[in-house]
Amino acid sequence: MLEDYLHILIFLVVAFLIGLAPRVMGSLLGPRRPGLEKDSPYECGFEAFENARMKFDVRYYLVAILFIIFDLEIAFLFPWAVVLEELGLGGLIAMVVFLGILVVGFIYEWRKGALEWE
Amino acid sequence: MGFEKFLFYVFAAIAVFAAGMVVTRRNPVHAVLYLVLAFVSSAALWLLIEAEFLGIVLVLVYVGAVMVLFLFVVMMLDIEVAALRAQFIRHLPLGLVIAAVMIINMVLVVGPWNFGLDSFAKPVPQPEGYSNTTVLGLDLFRTYLYQFEIAAVVLLVAIVAAIRLTLRRRANTKHQEPSEQVRVRKGPERIRLVAMRAEAVPASVPRIGSGPGADPNDAKEQGE
Repeated sequence: MLEDYLHILIFLVVAFLIGLAPRVMGSLLGPRRPGLEKDSPYECGFEAFENARMKFDVRYYLVAILFIIFDLEIAFLFPWAVVLEELGLGGLIAMVVFLGILVVGFIYEWRKGALEWE
Repeated sequence: MGFEKFLFYVFAAIAVFAAGMVVTRRNPVHAVLYLVLAFVSSAALWLLIEAEFLGIVLVLVYVGAVMVLFLFVVMMLDIEVAALRAQFIRHLPLGLVIAAVMIINMVLVVGPWNFGLDSFAKPVPQPEGYSNTTVLGLDLFRTYLYQFEIAAVVLLVAIVAAIRLTLRRRANTKHQEPSEQVRVRKGPERIRLVAMRAEAVPASVPRIGSGPGADPNDAKEQGE
Protein backbone atom coordinates (compact mmCIF):
# COMPACT_ATOMS: atom_id res chain seq x y z
CA MET A 1 0.00 0.00 0.00
CA LEU A 2 2.75 2.41 0.90
CA GLU A 3 4.28 2.01 -2.55
CA ASP A 4 1.22 3.78 -3.93
CA TYR A 5 2.29 6.92 -2.13
CA LEU A 6 5.74 7.01 -3.70
CA HIS A 7 4.50 9.43 -6.35
CA ILE A 8 3.32 11.82 -3.68
CA LEU A 9 6.66 11.62 -1.90
CA ILE A 10 8.49 12.37 -5.14
CA PHE A 11 6.07 15.23 -5.74
CA LEU A 12 6.74 16.60 -2.25
CA VAL A 13 10.50 16.45 -2.76
CA VAL A 14 10.28 18.14 -6.17
CA ALA A 15 7.93 20.82 -4.83
CA PHE A 16 10.30 21.49 -1.94
CA LEU A 17 13.26 21.80 -4.30
CA ILE A 18 11.35 24.09 -6.66
CA GLY A 19 10.44 26.27 -3.72
CA LEU A 20 13.99 26.30 -2.45
CA ALA A 21 15.81 26.85 -5.75
CA PRO A 22 14.66 30.44 -6.49
CA ARG A 23 15.58 31.58 -2.98
CA VAL A 24 19.03 30.00 -3.12
CA MET A 25 19.68 31.28 -6.63
CA GLY A 26 18.42 34.71 -5.71
CA SER A 27 20.67 34.99 -2.69
CA LEU A 28 23.70 33.63 -4.57
CA LEU A 29 23.35 35.44 -7.88
CA GLY A 30 21.61 38.70 -7.12
CA PRO A 31 23.29 41.79 -5.66
CA ARG A 32 22.27 42.68 -2.13
CA ARG A 33 22.58 46.33 -1.17
CA PRO A 34 20.00 46.90 1.56
CA GLY A 35 19.19 50.45 2.54
CA LEU A 36 16.90 52.25 4.93
CA GLU A 37 14.37 53.06 2.22
CA LYS A 38 14.47 49.57 0.74
CA ASP A 39 13.88 47.86 4.08
CA SER A 40 11.02 50.11 5.15
CA PRO A 41 7.50 48.67 4.79
CA TYR A 42 5.93 49.51 1.47
CA GLU A 43 2.22 50.02 1.38
CA CYS A 44 0.90 50.82 -2.04
CA GLY A 45 2.61 54.15 -2.42
CA PHE A 46 1.57 55.87 0.79
CA GLU A 47 3.20 55.84 4.21
CA ALA A 48 2.31 52.86 6.38
CA PHE A 49 -0.06 54.28 8.98
CA GLU A 50 -1.15 51.30 11.04
CA ASN A 51 0.19 48.14 12.59
CA ALA A 52 -0.77 44.95 10.77
CA ARG A 53 -1.88 43.44 14.11
CA MET A 54 -5.21 45.16 14.15
CA LYS A 55 -8.51 43.71 15.22
CA PHE A 56 -10.47 41.90 12.54
CA ASP A 57 -14.22 41.83 12.37
CA VAL A 58 -15.71 38.87 14.21
CA ARG A 59 -17.73 37.88 11.14
CA TYR A 60 -14.61 36.40 9.50
CA TYR A 61 -14.50 34.04 12.47
CA LEU A 62 -18.12 33.08 11.89
CA VAL A 63 -17.43 32.22 8.25
CA ALA A 64 -14.40 30.14 9.27
CA ILE A 65 -16.26 28.17 11.94
CA LEU A 66 -19.21 27.47 9.65
CA PHE A 67 -16.71 26.27 7.05
CA ILE A 68 -15.09 23.89 9.58
CA ILE A 69 -18.44 22.31 10.43
CA PHE A 70 -19.33 21.56 6.84
CA ASP A 71 -15.76 20.47 6.15
CA LEU A 72 -16.14 17.86 8.92
CA GLU A 73 -19.41 16.76 7.39
CA ILE A 74 -17.60 16.18 4.07
CA ALA A 75 -14.95 14.12 5.89
CA PHE A 76 -17.70 11.74 7.05
CA LEU A 77 -19.02 11.42 3.51
CA PHE A 78 -15.81 9.88 2.12
CA PRO A 79 -15.81 6.52 4.01
CA TRP A 80 -19.58 6.35 3.57
CA ALA A 81 -19.29 6.68 -0.19
CA VAL A 82 -16.59 3.99 -0.30
CA VAL A 83 -18.64 1.36 1.56
CA LEU A 84 -22.13 2.37 0.42
CA GLU A 85 -22.64 -0.78 -1.66
CA GLU A 86 -21.90 -3.03 1.29
CA LEU A 87 -24.06 -1.00 3.68
CA GLY A 88 -27.12 -1.05 1.47
CA LEU A 89 -30.30 0.80 2.36
CA GLY A 90 -29.39 1.12 6.06
CA GLY A 91 -26.31 3.13 5.24
CA LEU A 92 -28.29 5.43 2.98
CA ILE A 93 -30.87 6.09 5.72
CA ALA A 94 -28.10 6.69 8.28
CA MET A 95 -26.53 9.34 6.06
CA VAL A 96 -29.90 10.92 5.28
CA VAL A 97 -30.53 11.30 9.02
CA PHE A 98 -27.02 12.73 9.50
CA LEU A 99 -27.36 15.21 6.68
CA GLY A 100 -30.93 16.00 7.72
CA ILE A 101 -29.78 17.12 11.16
CA LEU A 102 -27.12 19.30 9.56
CA VAL A 103 -29.58 20.72 7.04
CA VAL A 104 -31.57 21.98 10.04
CA GLY A 105 -28.46 23.92 11.03
CA PHE A 106 -27.99 25.08 7.45
CA ILE A 107 -31.57 26.38 7.25
CA TYR A 108 -31.05 28.10 10.59
CA GLU A 109 -27.93 29.93 9.41
CA TRP A 110 -29.59 30.83 6.13
CA ARG A 111 -32.69 32.24 7.83
CA LYS A 112 -30.62 34.13 10.40
CA GLY A 113 -28.69 35.75 7.58
CA ALA A 114 -25.32 34.42 8.75
CA LEU A 115 -24.36 33.87 5.12
CA GLU A 116 -25.19 37.43 4.13
CA TRP A 117 -22.27 39.78 3.74
CA GLU A 118 -23.49 43.28 4.39
CA MET B 1 11.99 -1.47 5.85
CA GLY B 2 15.09 0.64 5.50
CA PHE B 3 13.54 3.36 3.38
CA GLU B 4 10.37 3.52 5.48
CA LYS B 5 12.43 3.87 8.62
CA PHE B 6 14.39 6.68 6.98
CA LEU B 7 11.12 8.42 6.02
CA PHE B 8 9.82 8.01 9.56
CA TYR B 9 12.89 9.71 10.97
CA VAL B 10 12.69 12.52 8.41
CA PHE B 11 9.03 13.29 9.12
CA ALA B 12 9.41 12.82 12.87
CA ALA B 13 12.36 15.23 12.86
CA ILE B 14 10.32 17.80 10.91
CA ALA B 15 7.41 17.39 13.33
CA VAL B 16 9.60 17.84 16.42
CA PHE B 17 11.39 20.82 14.86
CA ALA B 18 8.06 22.46 13.92
CA ALA B 19 6.62 21.83 17.39
CA GLY B 20 9.67 23.47 18.94
CA MET B 21 9.29 26.47 16.66
CA VAL B 22 5.58 26.76 17.59
CA VAL B 23 6.40 27.43 21.24
CA THR B 24 9.46 29.61 20.67
CA ARG B 25 8.37 32.00 17.90
CA ARG B 26 7.59 35.50 19.06
CA ASN B 27 5.23 36.23 16.20
CA PRO B 28 2.03 34.22 16.84
CA VAL B 29 1.24 34.05 13.12
CA HIS B 30 4.59 32.33 12.49
CA ALA B 31 3.79 29.94 15.36
CA VAL B 32 0.51 28.99 13.70
CA LEU B 33 2.25 28.41 10.37
CA TYR B 34 4.75 26.11 12.08
CA LEU B 35 1.80 24.29 13.63
CA VAL B 36 0.56 23.67 10.08
CA LEU B 37 3.95 22.15 9.26
CA ALA B 38 3.72 19.95 12.36
CA PHE B 39 0.26 18.74 11.30
CA VAL B 40 1.40 17.97 7.77
CA SER B 41 4.39 15.94 8.94
CA SER B 42 2.13 14.11 11.45
CA ALA B 43 -0.16 13.28 8.54
CA ALA B 44 2.83 11.78 6.75
CA LEU B 45 3.60 9.71 9.86
CA TRP B 46 0.03 8.44 9.95
CA LEU B 47 0.32 7.46 6.29
CA LEU B 48 3.44 5.48 7.21
CA ILE B 49 1.43 3.35 9.69
CA GLU B 50 -1.13 2.80 6.92
CA ALA B 51 -3.85 4.96 8.44
CA GLU B 52 -4.34 6.69 5.14
CA PHE B 53 -7.84 8.02 5.70
CA LEU B 54 -6.92 9.61 9.01
CA GLY B 55 -3.80 11.11 7.48
CA ILE B 56 -5.75 12.76 4.69
CA VAL B 57 -8.48 13.93 7.05
CA LEU B 58 -5.78 15.49 9.22
CA VAL B 59 -4.67 17.55 6.24
CA LEU B 60 -8.21 18.27 5.05
CA VAL B 61 -9.83 19.21 8.35
CA TYR B 62 -6.99 20.41 10.55
CA VAL B 63 -4.72 22.10 8.04
CA GLY B 64 -7.53 23.19 5.76
CA ALA B 65 -10.09 24.41 8.26
CA VAL B 66 -8.96 24.45 11.88
CA MET B 67 -5.71 26.24 11.14
CA VAL B 68 -7.57 28.87 9.15
CA LEU B 69 -9.66 29.45 12.26
CA PHE B 70 -6.48 29.61 14.36
CA LEU B 71 -5.05 32.22 12.03
CA PHE B 72 -8.23 34.28 12.25
CA VAL B 73 -8.22 34.08 16.03
CA VAL B 74 -4.54 34.96 16.26
CA MET B 75 -5.06 37.91 13.94
CA MET B 76 -8.17 39.02 15.79
CA LEU B 77 -6.64 38.88 19.23
CA ASP B 78 -4.53 42.00 18.76
CA ILE B 79 -1.67 40.52 20.78
CA GLU B 80 0.81 43.02 22.11
CA VAL B 81 3.97 40.90 22.13
CA ALA B 82 6.02 43.33 24.20
CA ALA B 83 3.38 43.44 26.96
CA LEU B 84 3.33 39.64 27.03
CA ARG B 85 7.09 39.42 27.38
CA ALA B 86 7.12 41.89 30.24
CA GLN B 87 5.08 39.43 32.30
CA PHE B 88 7.29 36.49 31.36
CA ILE B 89 9.65 36.64 34.36
CA ARG B 90 6.85 37.27 36.84
CA HIS B 91 4.92 34.15 35.85
CA LEU B 92 8.01 32.03 35.21
CA PRO B 93 8.01 30.06 38.54
CA LEU B 94 4.36 29.04 38.19
CA GLY B 95 4.92 28.14 34.57
CA LEU B 96 7.92 25.98 35.45
CA VAL B 97 5.91 24.10 38.11
CA ILE B 98 3.08 23.40 35.66
CA ALA B 99 5.54 22.35 32.98
CA ALA B 100 7.28 19.98 35.41
CA VAL B 101 3.97 18.37 36.42
CA MET B 102 3.02 17.95 32.78
CA ILE B 103 6.38 16.38 31.92
CA ILE B 104 6.07 13.91 34.83
CA ASN B 105 2.55 13.05 33.69
CA MET B 106 3.59 12.47 30.12
CA VAL B 107 6.66 10.42 31.05
CA LEU B 108 4.50 8.21 33.29
CA VAL B 109 2.01 7.64 30.49
CA VAL B 110 4.16 7.54 27.38
CA GLY B 111 7.52 6.67 28.95
CA PRO B 112 9.81 4.27 27.13
CA TRP B 113 8.95 1.34 29.45
CA ASN B 114 5.35 1.34 28.19
CA PHE B 115 6.44 0.92 24.61
CA GLY B 116 8.80 -1.26 22.68
CA LEU B 117 8.37 -4.45 20.73
CA ASP B 118 7.62 -6.56 23.84
CA SER B 119 4.59 -4.39 24.74
CA PHE B 120 3.34 -3.86 21.21
CA ALA B 121 3.99 -6.38 18.53
CA LYS B 122 5.31 -5.04 15.27
CA PRO B 123 2.29 -4.33 13.07
CA VAL B 124 2.12 -6.65 10.13
CA PRO B 125 1.93 -4.86 6.79
CA GLN B 126 -1.58 -4.98 5.40
CA PRO B 127 -2.18 -7.24 2.40
CA GLU B 128 -2.46 -5.94 -1.14
CA GLY B 129 -5.74 -4.16 -1.80
CA TYR B 130 -6.35 -3.28 1.86
CA SER B 131 -8.25 -0.05 2.19
CA ASN B 132 -8.16 1.79 5.48
CA THR B 133 -11.13 3.88 4.36
CA THR B 134 -13.30 0.81 3.74
CA VAL B 135 -12.55 -0.72 7.14
CA LEU B 136 -13.17 2.58 8.87
CA GLY B 137 -16.41 3.13 6.95
CA LEU B 138 -17.77 -0.30 7.84
CA ASP B 139 -16.91 0.23 11.50
CA LEU B 140 -18.34 3.72 11.56
CA PHE B 141 -21.65 2.89 9.88
CA ARG B 142 -22.27 -0.50 11.52
CA THR B 143 -20.73 -0.57 14.99
CA TYR B 144 -20.68 3.13 15.79
CA LEU B 145 -23.78 4.30 13.94
CA TYR B 146 -25.38 5.86 17.00
CA GLN B 147 -22.25 7.83 17.87
CA PHE B 148 -22.10 8.97 14.26
CA GLU B 149 -25.59 10.47 14.49
CA ILE B 150 -24.66 12.07 17.82
CA ALA B 151 -21.79 13.74 15.94
CA ALA B 152 -24.36 15.39 13.67
CA VAL B 153 -26.19 16.79 16.71
CA VAL B 154 -22.90 18.09 18.14
CA LEU B 155 -22.18 19.83 14.83
CA LEU B 156 -25.69 21.29 14.82
CA VAL B 157 -25.12 22.69 18.31
CA ALA B 158 -21.84 24.17 17.09
CA ILE B 159 -23.60 25.89 14.17
CA VAL B 160 -26.29 27.39 16.39
CA ALA B 161 -23.82 28.45 19.09
CA ALA B 162 -21.43 30.07 16.63
CA ILE B 163 -24.23 32.05 15.01
CA ARG B 164 -25.75 33.14 18.33
CA LEU B 165 -22.37 34.23 19.70
CA THR B 166 -20.89 36.03 16.73
CA LEU B 167 -23.68 37.22 14.45
CA ARG B 168 -24.07 40.94 14.91
CA ARG B 169 -26.38 43.01 12.75
CA ARG B 170 -24.97 46.43 12.15
CA ALA B 171 -27.44 49.24 11.98
CA ASN B 172 -27.41 51.48 8.89
CA THR B 173 -25.16 49.46 6.66
CA LYS B 174 -26.05 49.95 3.02
CA HIS B 175 -26.58 46.78 1.07
CA GLN B 176 -28.61 45.45 -1.83
CA GLU B 177 -31.18 42.70 -1.80
CA PRO B 178 -30.74 41.00 -5.18
CA SER B 179 -33.75 38.76 -4.59
CA GLU B 180 -35.97 41.82 -4.27
CA GLN B 181 -34.26 43.58 -7.16
CA VAL B 182 -35.04 40.85 -9.65
CA ARG B 183 -38.66 40.69 -8.51
CA VAL B 184 -39.41 44.28 -9.49
CA ARG B 185 -42.23 44.39 -12.05
CA LYS B 186 -42.50 46.76 -14.96
CA GLY B 187 -44.85 49.58 -14.21
CA PRO B 188 -45.27 51.37 -10.91
CA GLU B 189 -42.17 49.83 -9.27
CA ARG B 190 -39.72 51.03 -11.87
CA ILE B 191 -38.36 54.43 -12.74
CA ARG B 192 -40.35 55.92 -15.62
CA LEU B 193 -38.51 58.11 -18.12
CA VAL B 194 -40.66 60.89 -19.52
CA ALA B 195 -39.71 62.83 -22.65
CA MET B 196 -40.76 66.45 -22.41
CA ARG B 197 -40.10 69.66 -24.17
CA ALA B 198 -37.50 72.09 -22.94
CA GLU B 199 -39.11 74.85 -20.94
CA ALA B 200 -38.52 78.44 -21.86
CA VAL B 201 -36.14 80.14 -19.47
CA PRO B 202 -37.77 83.16 -17.82
CA ALA B 203 -35.98 86.41 -18.47
CA SER B 204 -35.42 86.95 -14.72
CA VAL B 205 -33.09 83.93 -14.45
CA PRO B 206 -29.56 84.74 -15.59
CA ARG B 207 -28.16 82.30 -18.12
CA ILE B 208 -25.02 80.52 -16.90
CA GLY B 209 -23.01 79.42 -19.90
CA SER B 210 -23.53 75.85 -21.08
CA GLY B 211 -22.99 73.98 -17.83
CA PRO B 212 -24.58 70.61 -17.23
CA GLY B 213 -27.42 72.15 -15.23
CA ALA B 214 -28.33 74.47 -18.01
CA ASP B 215 -28.65 71.77 -20.65
CA PRO B 216 -32.35 71.49 -21.52
CA ASN B 217 -31.95 67.85 -22.67
CA ASP B 218 -31.32 66.86 -19.05
CA ALA B 219 -34.84 67.73 -18.09
CA LYS B 220 -36.16 64.23 -17.58
CA GLU B 221 -38.71 63.74 -14.95
CA GLN B 222 -38.85 60.78 -12.64
CA GLY B 223 -42.09 58.88 -12.44
CA GLU B 224 -44.03 58.61 -9.17
